[in-house]
Amino acid sequence: MLNVAPRFREYETLPSLNDPSIPALPPLPTGESEDTRRIVERFGEDILAAGLHNGQQIVYVKPERLLELAAFVKDDPKLAYEAVVDVSAIDRLKLPIGADDARFQVVHQLRSYARKQHLMIVAPCVGNETPTVPSLGNLFAGAIWPEREVLDLMGITFTGHPDPRRILMPDSWPNHPLRKDVPLGGEEVPFTLTWGDPEFATLGKQILPAESVPPKLPPGMNRENMIINMGPHHPSTHGVLRLVVELEGETVVNVDPDLGYLHSGFEKTGENKRYKDFVYYTDRMDYLSSMNNNFGYVLAVEKLLGLEIPERAQVIRVIMSELQRIASHLFWLSTHALDVSGTGMSLLMYATRERERILDLFEMVCGARLTLSYIRVGGVWRDLPEAFINNLRDLLAVLPRYFDDYEAMLTHAPLWQERLEGIGKLSRADVINMGLTGPMLRGSGVDWDLRRDAPYGGYENYDFKVPVYTEGDCYARYLVRMEEMRQSVRIIEQALRNLPDGLFRTDDRKVSLPPRAELDVSMEALIHHFKLMTEGFRVPAGMVYHAIEASKGELGFFVVSDGSAVPYRLHVRGPSFNNLYAISKMSRGEMLSDIVTNIGSIDIVLGEVDR
Amino acid sequence: MGLEDKLPEGIITTQLESLVNWSRQNSTWPLLFGLACCAIEMIATGSARHDISRYGSELFRASPRQADLMIVSGRVSNKMAPVVKRLYDQMSEPKWVIAMGICASAGGPFNNYAIIQGVDKLIPVDVYVPGCPPRPEALLYALDKLREKQGRETFAKYRRNELAEAMLSPQDMDSLEALRAKQFA
Repeated sequence: MLNVAPRFREYETLPSLNDPSIPALPPLPTGESEDTRRIVERFGEDILAAGLHNGQQIVYVKPERLLELAAFVKDDPKLAYEAVVDVSAIDRLKLPIGADDARFQVVHQLRSYARKQHLMIVAPCVGNETPTVPSLGNLFAGAIWPEREVLDLMGITFTGHPDPRRILMPDSWPNHPLRKDVPLGGEEVPFTLTWGDPEFATLGKQILPAESVPPKLPPGMNRENMIINMGPHHPSTHGVLRLVVELEGETVVNVDPDLGYLHSGFEKTGENKRYKDFVYYTDRMDYLSSMNNNFGYVLAVEKLLGLEIPERAQVIRVIMSELQRIASHLFWLSTHALDVSGTGMSLLMYATRERERILDLFEMVCGARLTLSYIRVGGVWRDLPEAFINNLRDLLAVLPRYFDDYEAMLTHAPLWQERLEGIGKLSRADVINMGLTGPMLRGSGVDWDLRRDAPYGGYENYDFKVPVYTEGDCYARYLVRMEEMRQSVRIIEQALRNLPDGLFRTDDRKVSLPPRAELDVSMEALIHHFKLMTEGFRVPAGMVYHAIEASKGELGFFVVSDGSAVPYRLHVRGPSFNNLYAISKMSRGEMLSDIVTNIGSIDIVLGEVDR
Repeated sequence: MGLEDKLPEGIITTQLESLVNWSRQNSTWPLLFGLACCAIEMIATGSARHDISRYGSELFRASPRQADLMIVSGRVSNKMAPVVKRLYDQMSEPKWVIAMGICASAGGPFNNYAIIQGVDKLIPVDVYVPGCPPRPEALLYALDKLREKQGRETFAKYRRNELAEAMLSPQDMDSLEALRAKQFA
């Protein structure tokens, strides 16, 4: 009857209709801090801009002196930025840049563990079509993989990079998907197709050939030795990870991880969705700790907005984040034990039993078990239901006893010790240089926890211990995680004691929806509702990197806003991605079976590694 | 009741077809193969509370050659597509596929360059399960649906394929023209 041809409108253009101030460049940093002053004194004219922006130290430097600057901030005892935690890039094609301005900018996030400082270094790239910038890979091992990711997705050449290969996309991929002139891709959804349409005949019949690609030998591997392909379909790689392993006898000579089998284009998708709509995507990155992902993303956006969150919402968020940490660690423990020790399925069954109880609590607050989207910009989705507190108290009362049970099964079990002690050893210098985070850091003697050292979301109000072990092996990491679960219980208990009454979501109507009852009596509420639903909220132009301590390590969100309701650039620093870099170093010289232990000990989730 | 009355106790008669179907229904071994979020729910289905072994499907086989059922649990990326196809091809007949979750069914929220919009573009799918991710109960329901389907299978289906191949081979078949000529001769 009605046969209207589907019309497709570019979603991106919706929010910024008729606003001349969009798009806008992020403002340059203002003021100065001790560190930026020291850098400006040393480099003078070659620093394009330096100072503070959204409370972060940012330095813009000319690309030819980037390497020198990185070496300076690393070696100078008063700066001592020991680690590169993240590298990302911005394609400024659609921003109002000058004719001479560089199209691409590379952004490095540096961290000083000793001084508890964070520094963002931005360097424009030379050349607009084939941009180049010096690589920091030889200074910081932690930059090697993130730079490969930028090379792959953005097409920026890093001169002097030790291993310039694509990392996520297949080698034959024709473009660099994160560039702004590359479309999002995908297929048009035929919402209005009828039987009469010619397209209908092809629906469901578009068979893709999916031909196998002959594997290439990774560089540095010797064909004389045996080369084993582990994954992407392998029970103990915890997902679709492929490892190319070079063996001499049963001893591992070299390991080369091949990623990207679960690359889902989160960043590109995020740059085509409104801020409020990306919360649901964050769930699906590290699907074992959705709450943490929600939390990290939402905090980054709130930092750009400069939003104040009600006290009650903050406490609820902490409770959820810690519950999720326990659930994630339980899952890690069960699968790790399944892979490694002789307890077989029993520990998996025990640990999932407790995990199910935590998922029940999540279901109570938001109706979902896994992909929760409970933490939203401005607060949380709904207030806690009445039964939640009592159920949570019941669970907290029994959890420590269960942890004791697990420890009784594992901690002193000879088999467990044999498989874990001295395996996957990483020294303190290694973990810092490789940019590892989370339990990987704390298992190697670095006393660092973002919850305590760079508090966010009200964590400064809680009293908890950060477990640190100096051995640096898988056993130390196991002990760290076990203790973290106990500390999480402590944090939740404190939060429950101090749970204030009040709003569970900010009442700033520019960001959060008005309650349903208000719509009937207030025209203004109706307008806000309409604006939020159709357009979303706009975020002032700016650039922010916000990191939280997720269960796997530092989960960072780098967001660049151009003033519209859609992020201009959205980059995720997944802790598993950076942590997985250590697998080669950990496994070299060990037995083949120890690779399984090491993968379990890193605690990867491929959704986050590949994004 | 006919023959069974005359037989000693404990012996029943049935069709071989239904016996085979019955055994297949009650021990469908899935492939140990997880892709994304849905894999976690698949594991939850297999563990303590939901207990997939009630269906005889607790034995997740790591080798595709020993598996009957492929549960595509999650999004299939362009890089993963050849691997999924290869795994399916390695499974021995009879084999079934459940597309678990909206990503495996139709691409889900990931309508972008990286993700295949539905695994049915690579391999034939028997049961689609909606949800993001589906709850374990939904996966168990999908298994129920699959059992219904397995119960309806006939040997003739496999025989028919053979026959069809044999009949359609040009050497054995008269051409259409020849047939017409015969008819009107």
